Amino acid sequence: MNTPIEAAPQGSPALRLHRQLVPIWATGPGLHRLAAVNHSVIGVRFMATAFVFFAIGGVLGMLTRVQLATPDAAFMDSETYNQIFTMHGSILLFLFAIPMLEGIAVYLTPKMLGARDFAFPRLTAYGYWCYLFGGMILTGSLIAGVAPNSGWFMYTPLSSNVYTPGINADVWLLGVTFVEISALTLSVEIVVSILKMRAPGMSLDRMPIFGWYMLVTALMMVVAFPPLILASILLEAERAFGLPFFDPRRGGDPLLWQHLFWLFGHPDVYIILLPMAGLLSTMIPVLANRTLIGYRAIVVAIIALAFVSFGIWVHHMFTVGIPHLALAFFSAGTAIVAVPTAVQIFAWLATLAHGRPRWNVPMLYVFGFLFTFVIGGLTGVMLSIVPFDWQAHDTYFVVAHFHYVVGGALAFPLLAGLYYWLPLLTGRTAVHQLSVPAFWLVFIGFNLTFFLMHLTGLLGMPRRIYTYPGHEGWIWLNLLSSVGGFIMTIGFGLVVIDLLAQLRYGRRVRRDPWRATTLEWAMPIPPAPYAFASIPHVKARADCVASGELALSLARGEGYLGFARNGWQETLGVHMTSGAPEQLIVLSRPSYLPLCTALATAATVLAMLFQFYLLTLAVGLLVAGLLVFAGQNAGLARDYGPLPVGHGVSVPPHTEVADAPPWLALIFTLVADGTLFTSLLFGTLYLWISAPNWPPAAAPEPNLLLVLASFAALAIAAAAARGSLRSGAAGRAPQGWIALAAIALVAALAAAVALIGGVIPPPRAHALGATASALLGYVALHAGIGLLFLLSNLMRLAAGFISRQRLLDLRLTRLWLDYTALTGAVALALVLVLPTLAAILETRP
Amino acid sequence: MTTRAVSSGRLWWLAAGFGVWCSGLVVLYALHAIGCAFAWRAGLLRVGLAVALVAHLIAIGWMWRELAARHPDPTFDPTGAFLHTAVVWTVIAAFVAIVLTLGPPLLLTTCM
Repeated sequence: MNTPIEAAPQGSPALRLHRQLVPIWATGPGLHRLAAVNHSVIGVRFMATAFVFFAIGGVLGMLTRVQLATPDAAFMDSETYNQIFTMHGSILLFLFAIPMLEGIAVYLTPKMLGARDFAFPRLTAYGYWCYLFGGMILTGSLIAGVAPNSGWFMYTPLSSNVYTPGINADVWLLGVTFVEISALTLSVEIVVSILKMRAPGMSLDRMPIFGWYMLVTALMMVVAFPPLILASILLEAERAFGLPFFDPRRGGDPLLWQHLFWLFGHPDVYIILLPMAGLLSTMIPVLANRTLIGYRAIVVAIIALAFVSFGIWVHHMFTVGIPHLALAFFSAGTAIVAVPTAVQIFAWLATLAHGRPRWNVPMLYVFGFLFTFVIGGLTGVMLSIVPFDWQAHDTYFVVAHFHYVVGGALAFPLLAGLYYWLPLLTGRTAVHQLSVPAFWLVFIGFNLTFFLMHLTGLLGMPRRIYTYPGHEGWIWLNLLSSVGGFIMTIGFGLVVIDLLAQLRYGRRVRRDPWRATTLEWAMPIPPAPYAFASIPHVKARADCVASGELALSLARGEGYLGFARNGWQETLGVHMTSGAPEQLIVLSRPSYLPLCTALATAATVLAMLFQFYLLTLAVGLLVAGLLVFAGQNAGLARDYGPLPVGHGVSVPPHTEVADAPPWLALIFTLVADGTLFTSLLFGTLYLWISAPNWPPAAAPEPNLLLVLASFAALAIAAAAARGSLRSGAAGRAPQGWIALAAIALVAALAAAVALIGGVIPPPRAHALGATASALLGYVALHAGIGLLFLLSNLMRLAAGFISRQRLLDLRLTRLWLDYTALTGAVALALVLVLPTLAAILETRP
Repeated sequence: MTTRAVSSGRLWWLAAGFGVWCSGLVVLYALHAIGCAFAWRAGLLRVGLAVALVAHLIAIGWMWRELAARHPDPTFDPTGAFLHTAVVWTVIAAFVAIVLTLGPPLLLTTCM
C-alpha cells in the first residue's frame, strides 16, 4: 500500500523541500539537544570531545617533558609521574585517537556515500555518551589522585592487586572497557552503513576510496577490540574476585595478558592509520587536481594490511623468552607489513607527481605526514629485526618510533583534514594568517621532540623512568626534546587560535571552496540536518562527481526521496555490491533513551568500581531492560509493501526485507562476539600449554549429566526459535514456540550456573577452575541474553510489530540462539575435555 | 546484454586469501608451541611444521590457479570484474606473505 506524500509548502522547490525536511530531521533546541541522534550533531560532538581529551593528554605529556628536562628533577614524585605518563598514553589512544576517527567516520561517511544518516542513529548517540562518561571516569580519577599508574598497556603482574592494590588499575580496566562499548557499537554501525546505505548506483567499484578505508577499519575494530575487552574482564575478575588468570602461583600466566592486549594493540595502530590514510586519499586527488592513481591497488593493499596487522602482535613481545623460530614468523610479518603501506604512499606520490598540486595549508600537513610517517615506518622495520629490537626494547628509541608512527600518522593528516573540511562544518573559509607559522611550529617541534628520542634511546635511556642522575649523556637530548615539546605545543595553540579566527572572521561560503569531487560537498554548507534534500543516483566513480551542479539538483529534490512522507526519517538501502536500491530505511527519531541507557551503564561501571556488586547487578539489569525497551518502537507497526522512492522506483520498507540493517548488524556483532569467544578458547589452551603449576593438584571432574543437560537445553531453544519463525511465516501465533525456547534457556542457564558452582579445582584456587568458570559463564550469559530476545519478541508481537511480512525479530532471535547453541557446544565440550588435557600434561618429560 | 548484480556473498572472497595466511600462522605457531612444550624431537617438529606450511601453500596455490583461470562472468555488472581482480590480487599477496613469513623461519633452531 502506497502512502501519500505530504503536501509541499509554498516557495521555490528547494526551499519548499527544505521546509518539509527540517522539522523531521532537526534536533530540537535547549534540553532536547540531549536527545540528538543526528550523525552530523553526534559526529561534531565526538570530534570536539576528542579534541578536549587531546588537550588534556597533551598537557600531561608536557608535564612529563618538564620532569625529564633536567636530571634529578623534583617537579613530581614517582607515583605522580606513573599516573601522568599512564594517563597520557591512555587518554591519547583511547579517548582521542580512536574516538576522533569515530567522529570523522560518523560525520563524513554518510555524506560521502550519499546517505542521509547512519543505520542506527540511537546507537550512535549511545556510543557517544558511553565515550563521554567513560572518559569522565578516567580523567576524574586523575583529579582524585587514583589514576591508573601501570602504563597504558597495564602489564600484569604489575597491574594485579598484589602490586597495585588500590582502585587505580580498576579505573583503567572498567573505564576503558566502557569507552570501548562506543568503539564496538560504532564499528558495527559503520560496516552495516557502508555495505547497505550508499547512494543508488554506487556499486563497490564506484565507492569513494574513503568508504573502502572506513569499511576495512571498522571490520578491523570488530575483530580487534574483543581480545582487549576479554583481557580487561579477566583481569578485573582476578582483581575483584581472585580468579587467577594471570597469577603464575595458581596456574595463571602474566604473558596471557600481553598476548590478549597486543592482539588488540598492534592492529590498533592501523585502525588509527587507515582512516587518516583515507582522508589523505580523498584530499590529495583534489589538491593535486587529478584522480587518485592506483584505486584497485590501494583496495588490495588495505585488505592485506588489515590481515597482516593482526598477525604480528608478538613483535611487542620479542624479549619475553619466546623461541627464535616463533619470533621469526612475527619478525618477517612485521617487515612485510611495510609493503602494503608503501603501496599507498607511492600511490599518493604518483597522484601528486601526475597532477598540478595546489600548495596550500592542507598540502603542507600532507607533506608533514609523509615526512614523519616514512621515518616512523623505517624505524618500525628496524625494530622488526629481532636482534635490534633486543637492544632497543623498552628504550626511548621505541618511544620515538611510536610517536612518529601514531603521532605522525594521526596529527598531520588530521590537521590537513581539519583545514580541508572545516568549511563544510562551519560554512566559512580559512583565514590562513596563522596557519603557515602554526604548521612550521608543530612540524619543527614534533621532530625536535621525537627525533632526538631515537638518540636518547640508542644511548640506553629506558622508558617510564621518572628521573635520571645525569652522568649518562642524556641531559642535552632530554632538554632539547622538552624544548621541542613546548615549541610543538605553541604550534598547536596557534592552530586553535587560527581555527577560532576562521570561525569568527572566515569568509562565508555556500558551496565547495576546493572544487572537490566527492559527494559530501554536493550539499549546502554547513549541511542541513537531513544532509541531502534528495539522494543522488551515482553513474560513475563517486570521487569524480561535479559536486557543485549536483548540489543544486539535489536541493531541488531531483534525486531519490525528494519529498517528505509520514514524518519519517527516510533513506535508501541498496544491494551490497551493485548499489541497486532495494529497501526504504526508516530511521529512528531523537530520543533520551541513549542518554538514559548510557547513564545506567555508567552507574553499572561505577558500582563495579566501588565494589557494590549487588548494585552492579541491579543497574546491569536496568541497562538490559532499557535496551529491550529501546527496541519496542523500532521499525513499522504495519505492512506497507513497496513504496515509491522517486525516479519511478518502488521498494519495500526495511522491515519487510531479508537483509535489513539489523540483520547485518547482528551478524557482525556475532563476529565480534565470536572473536571474544575464540580469545577465551585461546586463553584456556595457552594456560594449559604455557602456564606454570599445571596440572592442578585437584583433578577436575565436571558433572557430565549437567553438561549434557545444558547442551540439550540450548539445542531445544535453537530448535524452538526455528519453530517460532516457521509459525510466524505461516501466519500462525509463535508464542508457544517462544515459551518453549524460554523454558529451555532457563534450564540451560540453571545447568551452567550449577556447573560453575561445582567446578573443581575451585575457581579461586587454580586457573583451570577459573577458565572453566569463564567458559560456563559465557554460556550462561548468552542464554540470559537469549531470554531478552524472547521477551522482546513477545512484547513486539503484542504491539503489532511482527507479521508474516515482518519477521525480522524472529529471524534475529533464531540467529542468536543458533550462535548460543554452537558456542555453547564448543565451550561445554572444552570443559569436558579439560581434565584429559590436564592429565596429558603429566606425560611431559 | 543485461547484466546482473554480483552476489553479496562474493565479498567474503576478499578475505579468503589472507584467511589461509591467518590459518597458516595460527597452525604453525600452535604446533610449534605444543611441540616445544612436549619436547618433541627437533626433526619431527620441523617436519610437522613443513607439512603444515606445504598444506597451506597447496591450498592457496590451488585458489590462485582456479581464480586466475576463471575470467569474470560477463553477465555480471562491472563490479564483478572489479571484485574478481581484487580477489585474485589478495590471493597472490597472501601467497607471497605465506612464503615470506612462514617459510624461512623453519630453518631456525626449533625450541631455543
